[in-house]
Amino acid sequence: MIRVALPLLALLGLLLPGAAGAQPARPVPPPVAPPSLAAELSQSRIEVTTAFTGAEILVFGATERLIGEEGDEVLVQAIGPIQPLVVRQKTQLAGLIWVNGASARFNRVPGYWAVAGTRPLVDLLPLPDRQAHRIGLGQIPLVQLGNQGADFRGALAELKQGAGHWVSEAQPIGVSGGRLFHARLPLPATTPTGEYLVQVFLIRDRRILARQELTLVVERSGFTAWIAQVAEDAAVLYGIACILLAALAGWLGSVVFRRG
Amino acid sequence: MQVYLPIAEMSVDALLLLGIGFGVGWLSGLFGVGGGFLLTPLLILIGIPAPVAVGSGANQTLGASVSGLIAQWRRGNVDPRMGTVLLLGGLAGSGAGVQIFALLRSAGQVDLAVSLFYVVILGTVGVLMMRESLTAIFRRGRARPRRLHEHFWIHGLPLKLRFRKSRLYISVIPPLLVGFGVGLLSAVMGVGGGFMLVPAMIYLLGMPTSVVIGTSLFQVVFVTANVTFLQAVQVGSVDIVLTLLLLAGGVAGAQFGAALGTRLRGEETRALLGLLVLAVAGSLLWDLLRPPPSPFVMGPAL
Repeated sequence: MIRVALPLLALLGLLLPGAAGAQPARPVPPPVAPPSLAAELSQSRIEVTTAFTGAEILVFGATERLIGEEGDEVLVQAIGPIQPLVVRQKTQLAGLIWVNGASARFNRVPGYWAVAGTRPLVDLLPLPDRQAHRIGLGQIPLVQLGNQGADFRGALAELKQGAGHWVSEAQPIGVSGGRLFHARLPLPATTPTGEYLVQVFLIRDRRILARQELTLVVERSGFTAWIAQVAEDAAVLYGIACILLAALAGWLGSVVFRRG
Repeated sequence: MQVYLPIAEMSVDALLLLGIGFGVGWLSGLFGVGGGFLLTPLLILIGIPAPVAVGSGANQTLGASVSGLIAQWRRGNVDPRMGTVLLLGGLAGSGAGVQIFALLRSAGQVDLAVSLFYVVILGTVGVLMMRESLTAIFRRGRARPRRLHEHFWIHGLPLKLRFRKSRLYISVIPPLLVGFGVGLLSAVMGVGGGFMLVPAMIYLLGMPTSVVIGTSLFQVVFVTANVTFLQAVQVGSVDIVLTLLLLAGGVAGAQFGAALGTRLRGEETRALLGLLVLAVAGSLLWDLLRPPPSPFVMGPAL
């Protein structure tokens, strides 16, 4: 009994001063450091309307120190919604016609991926850091199903870049006033709709010092959104509407343009 | 002026679409055909995905044929009984065609199949047209007496039916088969099929030319309606914005083409049409034969 009670008492003794709440000198929290990075998007919603021909993601913000080789550097990366894709290799059939041959499936391909920095990526961050944080087109995570082979992966990257869906340092980040930066990432007209993640990294001495994540929504809007929605949700109704509209338009047109 | 197509999910110049519609409409008015066989390849050429080009092409052909059907019906140039028999075959054929299309799409071979179909069918039809019209041009003036229609094995088949407007008493099997075949091609190629149907009706079924155009329009309108519906429901590839833009140009062009067409001689018109058909087939064949610009292609996984 006593053996147990003794350590208990000792414990109580230790706890008592705190439990009494009589301690006036609580540790002062360290003074809040001003954020070393502040970034914002010019718009958090991009609308795909009937007149949509592409857009751009404009990221702007400020750093703590002057931007430059001796001071801060900024890196911006935008990642679009995931989509499944198939890459097919063209093969020649009987030495004559070109047909789609072997294929590889990629279930989770980022539909958009763009990166820009105040300086070329290789100068900003060493490769291990870029790998750890998945920065740059070379670090896009891809799982290849079906036909294996590095060719398909390379072809996918090439096709995606050709379509403007993957953009590697198209334009360096602009700097004004020493500490204000703005990055423009081009969105092509065929950019997928959905949620986009925009990552902003503050880099000093080739190390990531701070990061900030912003989200952006690209969505169909107005007439375009409505048609795509109806076509998907009420395909039967949409099919009938297409028939009636085409018939009506054809008939109306022939009445309007009838000559003589 | 760029316009975003909601189903094709791409942005295209609206004036380009109106222009293509006008050009194809003009030619179709001139030659008296639907023009789908020119439209679908042109859409693929400007970068519209093949499924959307086929689905919207069928929808456009429907619109372009409606006014023609109304006009022919008023003049009594439609054989409703023959049209119905052809249509029954056509509905079955287009239903089967859309199934084949969906299968091809998941196998990633739609573009190849559409191109191959075009090369084979257009090549054959073009050669036949050229030969027939050139023969007619050279034999001009030396008219041969022709029987109303020739009798051969087709007329020995059972299930005979009287088609009063066509002045025929034949088995329903050949029209059903013709309708089925044209319906199938219509679904895969996104065409009305008038350019195949008209010769089949004249040479295979022996119908009088006066009711051929009207009756083929009857079949084309309803089969393209069926293709539009099935493509919209099963493949989801009918773009109504694309269709309406093409139609706007098309109906205007057709009226101008038709006005010029009345001033051309039949044989010359057919020779020109044959040349045009062969040119389209040739350009598609070239696309299949030349080394592709990129050794790989990507597409959505289905």
